[in-house]
Amino acid sequence: MNRKEFIKNIFGVAAIAGIAGSCKDHRSNSIKGSIIGASSNIGHIIRDGKTTDSPSEIIKKDIVIVGGGISGLSAARHLQANGITNFLLLDLEKEVGGNAKSGKNTISAFPWGAHYIPVPNNNLTEYLDFLQECGVVKNINENTLPEYNEAYLCFNPEERLFINGQWQDGLIPHFGVPEKDTAQISAFLNKMNEYRYAVGADKKEAFAIPVNESSNDNAFTLLDTLTMQEWMLTNKFTSSYLHTYVNYCTRDDFGTPHNKISAWAGIHYFAARKGKAANATYSDVLTWPEGNGFLVNKLQAAILPQIKTSSLVTKITPQADKVLVAYFDVAANKNIIIEAAQCIVAVPQFIASRLLNDDERKAAVKKDFHYSPWMVANIKTNELKQKPGAPLSWDNVMYGSDSLGYIDATHQQLQVYKTKRNLTYYLPLCTKDPVTERKLAQNKTHADWVKLIMDDLKKVHADIETQTEEINVMIWGHAMIQPLPGYISGKSRAVLARSVNNNVHFAHTDIAGISIFEEAFYQGLNAAKKIIQQGIKNKG
Amino acid sequence: MTKKETSAQWILLIAVFCIATCGLIYELVAGTLASYLLGDSVTQFSTIIGTYLFAMGIGSFLSKYFNSDILRWFIRIELLIGLIGGFSSALLFLFFPLVTSFRIILYLLVLVTGILVGLEIPLLMRILKDKIEFKDLVSKVFTFDYIGALLASVVFPLVLIPHLGLIRTSLFFGIINIAIGWYLAYYFAAQIKRAAVIKFTAILLLIIEVVAFVFSDNIMSYSESLAYRDNIVYATSSPYQRIVITKNKRELRLNLNGNLQFSSADEYRYHEALVHPALASVADLKHVLVLGGGDGLAVREVLKYPSVKKIKLVDLDATMTKLFSSQEILIRLNGASLQNKKVQIINEDAFLWLNANTEKFDAVVIDFPDPSNFSIGKLYSTMFYTLLKKVLNPDGVAVVQSTSPFVAPKSFWCINNTIQSAGFLQSHITIMFLPLVNGATSLQVLTPICIGLQLILPV
Repeated sequence: MNRKEFIKNIFGVAAIAGIAGSCKDHRSNSIKGSIIGASSNIGHIIRDGKTTDSPSEIIKKDIVIVGGGISGLSAARHLQANGITNFLLLDLEKEVGGNAKSGKNTISAFPWGAHYIPVPNNNLTEYLDFLQECGVVKNINENTLPEYNEAYLCFNPEERLFINGQWQDGLIPHFGVPEKDTAQISAFLNKMNEYRYAVGADKKEAFAIPVNESSNDNAFTLLDTLTMQEWMLTNKFTSSYLHTYVNYCTRDDFGTPHNKISAWAGIHYFAARKGKAANATYSDVLTWPEGNGFLVNKLQAAILPQIKTSSLVTKITPQADKVLVAYFDVAANKNIIIEAAQCIVAVPQFIASRLLNDDERKAAVKKDFHYSPWMVANIKTNELKQKPGAPLSWDNVMYGSDSLGYIDATHQQLQVYKTKRNLTYYLPLCTKDPVTERKLAQNKTHADWVKLIMDDLKKVHADIETQTEEINVMIWGHAMIQPLPGYISGKSRAVLARSVNNNVHFAHTDIAGISIFEEAFYQGLNAAKKIIQQGIKNKG
Repeated sequence: MTKKETSAQWILLIAVFCIATCGLIYELVAGTLASYLLGDSVTQFSTIIGTYLFAMGIGSFLSKYFNSDILRWFIRIELLIGLIGGFSSALLFLFFPLVTSFRIILYLLVLVTGILVGLEIPLLMRILKDKIEFKDLVSKVFTFDYIGALLASVVFPLVLIPHLGLIRTSLFFGIINIAIGWYLAYYFAAQIKRAAVIKFTAILLLIIEVVAFVFSDNIMSYSESLAYRDNIVYATSSPYQRIVITKNKRELRLNLNGNLQFSSADEYRYHEALVHPALASVADLKHVLVLGGGDGLAVREVLKYPSVKKIKLVDLDATMTKLFSSQEILIRLNGASLQNKKVQIINEDAFLWLNANTEKFDAVVIDFPDPSNFSIGKLYSTMFYTLLKKVLNPDGVAVVQSTSPFVAPKSFWCINNTIQSAGFLQSHITIMFLPLVNGATSLQVLTPICIGLQLILPV
């Protein structure tokens, strides 16, 4: 810095202090973009009463799948693979994918939600078959270990954490962390590793995927009676660094802070991953620029003709020998009823209960099912100034931030030089209770979100406001189920997961217990299996 | 008080004024220069000012040891300040690119100047103490001292730096210091021993500084040329890198982002070793792929094989390939290889190009920069070598520049392991101890650098 610049900077600081926030607001406002998605316009159709018109058409199908998230797509794929093709999958949005939705601009594709899968556990045969079908698993080696496609294994550098004024490598705090805290952190991780390989009296894994395959041994299920924070404190884990880290983890996977999440679910986050591979370990992840949108495209590839988007299901009526599914076709602007033999309801229970108009189900959902709201933003930016330490990574987290930081969607691109990037910023809205947070989020403008994001990221990228070209924001009102204490081991989700009338089957991660790709995949698969088995029975 | 004594008193007070101005200027010059060269101006200015004031204290303390010929000492000190202060910025500019411990020289210079300046006022007050009443003396000396400081602090940023620059500013005040010394020696010649010697010294120093003042531009450019020790004949920035070509009597050099890529004096050793062992081992050599190497030097070697029908050169930087196919001096170096009809230039990212490519080649020459960061590291990954395998004909061969097994053995063996894990059956390693010009020192000495080349044969 020369003398002139030095003086200019001093004046600059004074000017900013003097004018306070006003000029900053102005700059944030000039970043273009909008709040995207959450098809409220379609939702308004119900509100405006258009769907009460009598149906203009009645069609017949063997099976209807309601909802095109991973559960619904997985069910459809499994039916198709078993030669059952006379089905229709209905989704309210313009594109299927649910939480794994993705977008695209001139720089790259980017995720709008779920953006990676961990290296799968080896007992998930059907799931591994699917991944092999997609080219994610290249082959199975002589030791029966899957070899993953290197293009999809997250490239180095994978993760970094901004802590004590510097970016450190990896997310577990260590830079500038006192020795007694690092000792507690490694003791905690050792404990998690014990749980990883723990087996209950019933010979089942303590923490399995799917959750329903886990041991019913009291030694483990009792963990579902207290919160993660309570469990940590009773086990003498007091380090604030450790608590901040664990709180980051539970917000990351469940959108729920560690003082609310069930300890069983919290430990499941650390202990359930045990996948072995020829060229990766259980802590590695597979990712794509478009996140799990990549897997969405693979799931729907074979069933495109049977997918009907922009279709709002309004009512599901189970009858003795058939199911009536009423939906509003937005494009054609008409009400249609499908008469089907079977129906798979692959939507969350708070919607399913309304579609079925079942008061008992509604009451149970209201009492036991809580969903966390999220905000996800995609930031289109030029190269940013970096603080010292580890270089820009795939996952970039700031210690102690309310947000989960951002992932670099361009990370898996192969080219050496990049001048622009898409950064996907994740914020679970969990400071207050979900209902309040949802209301607060609905009242925020695009400029409000931009300011919130910029204020958070300015700490690590001084020039982000001037380098950002566009920010688009998506609000997920009910992004994922919250496994609060008692939810996983409680009766409610098991009861609501039961098929109705033997012809309405449920598939969703809320009844699975936790919102992860594998759960959704098996929810769909199992619902499809129920139908396939019945088909065999009928024929017999 | 006689008239003569009154005027002597005023001359000495004007000297105080000039001395104070010069003293502060040297301090500001050192502070600014340190900020320019080292950055972080707050730290530089604080530590320079602190050191300077402390050194002045040392000077004041030492003043009590000057007991005779005080006026003569005073004039000598003037001349010495003029010499050291005057050349201070020129010296610092020259030393900066040459020494590793620049700060030691910087603070040593500040310390010496400060001590000498610190001697001035106490000595002068002692010279004047019998001529003026004490309370008047203190009042006048310090008044002139502080006015001089004010003048310096105003003219330095507003007039001197914009119009004279740092080197000339310090030389200008060196000249003033010496001129004062000379004038005092001339005026008080009767009161000092061997005044002629001092006057002669003063005139000699004056001439030296005036000459330096006139030729200061050359000092500046010489200093800059020390960073690149030769003349820069071409410099440009592409979207990907800073390209600088330097030249001396013997050789031409290419620097990318400040790193020496080749010297025309010995690049043939590298490029011959890179190309020939690989290409000579291919029986039916027709199609050759060169990845990286936008300078066309590897291509020049490939063109020596008459059987070669087609060469594809994939280099991201169009600025590089254009430069090496349009500049006369560079075309002479690569033998116009890039204009050859057999050569097709593709300015694309090598990884993406390779990923999309379906053509097969008999030989692939890979000449990428060392894997010094994560993004370049991708070009040395299993994935990359797997793609490479796909483009090679069964009897084909590839060669990879794989850093120095001497300087960076870990990188070298890591690349070797990666190549093998990508399923290449054999990876003959040709380690060549190539004496190449070492770009890291400024000495014109040939030191051996070892570059590892890996010959790859597919399964």
